[in-house]
Amino acid sequence: MTDLLPILSTASLWNTRLFAQTNVEALASRVEGTWSWAMVIPIVLGAIGYLLIQEGVVRNKLWIGLGLIAFATSVVFAVGFLPPTLDAYIVFLFCTVATGGGVGFLTAREPVYAALGFATAVLSTCGILFMHSAMFIAAATMIVYAGATIIIFLFVLMFAQQTELRVYDIKLTNPCLACLIGTVMMIAISYCVTHEGSFPLRKIDSSRLMSEALLPDELQSEDAKVEFDRQKSTSSKDGLGIVPQTTAGLGRALYTDYLIAVELAGTVLLVATIGAIALATKPTAEVGS
Amino acid sequence: MNDAMTQNMLVFAGVLFSAGFVGFLTRRSLILMFLSLEMMLAGVSINLIAFSRHYGNFQGQVLAIMVLTIAACEAAIALALVVSLYRKKATLDVRAWDELSETLVPKEVEAPMSMSTVELVFPSLTPSGLDPLQDPVLSEFSANVSVSSPSNEPKTTVKKAEVTHNA
Repeated sequence: MTDLLPILSTASLWNTRLFAQTNVEALASRVEGTWSWAMVIPIVLGAIGYLLIQEGVVRNKLWIGLGLIAFATSVVFAVGFLPPTLDAYIVFLFCTVATGGGVGFLTAREPVYAALGFATAVLSTCGILFMHSAMFIAAATMIVYAGATIIIFLFVLMFAQQTELRVYDIKLTNPCLACLIGTVMMIAISYCVTHEGSFPLRKIDSSRLMSEALLPDELQSEDAKVEFDRQKSTSSKDGLGIVPQTTAGLGRALYTDYLIAVELAGTVLLVATIGAIALATKPTAEVGS
Repeated sequence: MNDAMTQNMLVFAGVLFSAGFVGFLTRRSLILMFLSLEMMLAGVSINLIAFSRHYGNFQGQVLAIMVLTIAACEAAIALALVVSLYRKKATLDVRAWDELSETLVPKEVEAPMSMSTVELVFPSLTPSGLDPLQDPVLSEFSANVSVSSPSNEPKTTVKKAEVTHNA
């Protein structure tokens, strides 16, 4: 039962485009990600298949191979229905890998495999952030999460060094109820996000612009265009390394508009470091005793 | 990147958040619960970045950096807490700390179970001797019970045990 939800999400990511629009006219405007109840069928089938393989019910390799071929076919169909830009392909690939990592994290019984699934999910998330032109945050997330994950990984290895699984890795707390709650929450989030007018349409805030390249041509000022071209040309001509415009702008925004927030974040980090050291050190004997 | 892509990212962030939520509710190992929390935070960061891209300014990215900072602090403190908890009771199980909850809640009795993927294989001995319960018991193997009275035997052993205990 625990395995159902991640499969649901994976398959819905893959099949969002598959059944939503089939006619040619809709292909032109296939940017709408609408939910169709026909998507439930492959999702449920995939979930059942995964569950059967997990439980060891299906041992015949022929059946497993047939199931994999069917799954690959559905993936190919989904890829065929994706929007035709390379960016979208890469982003959806990262989404798929991240959701797969989440599935691995949820369904793995051994803690080491769970940590591996988490690392996969987080690294793919970094890829998605990169594709949304948040290069600095992608790199920072990779460093922080990768470092933290490696440390946690070591902890897992250290604590859970055993040949057989512990009870608390197998017997979960209320998996059916938690799965129900999670599914309801996921459906609620998807509904709230995808229904008409759920969030305001795209409106570029031109006062603090992330990148001049985002603006349509008629809105770009001549100075900005010239500046943008000059930055591109000089940075590539010097060969000293290209600082992406978004990263430079992020630094500018951090240290002008959000200076107090940066200071507060530094303070929080300091406090957390002190707290961690105080908590983790072994309590020494009291002076009086 | 357009409105539909922002929408897709929001859906994906919801999926990641829900997965982390389910992991947090179901998992019982302290470290894995903490990893689920981190996964939920990753979903939230994707939301922020998507909206930052949507509006073309840096507010979302700055907020994402704040989330990252809080996540780092949380990682440090949570690991320290796990270490100190593990020092008290050598287990990562959350239910070991059930006494912190309400005492009125009846405690769930859990049968000890070990589920290993390796089947236990015991060595088998070739049978030897005679089965005492075999139906035609041979006459020379019949036990003579009347030699020693059964009431004497345990008493002497008890006395012996007391003597050894006192010595």
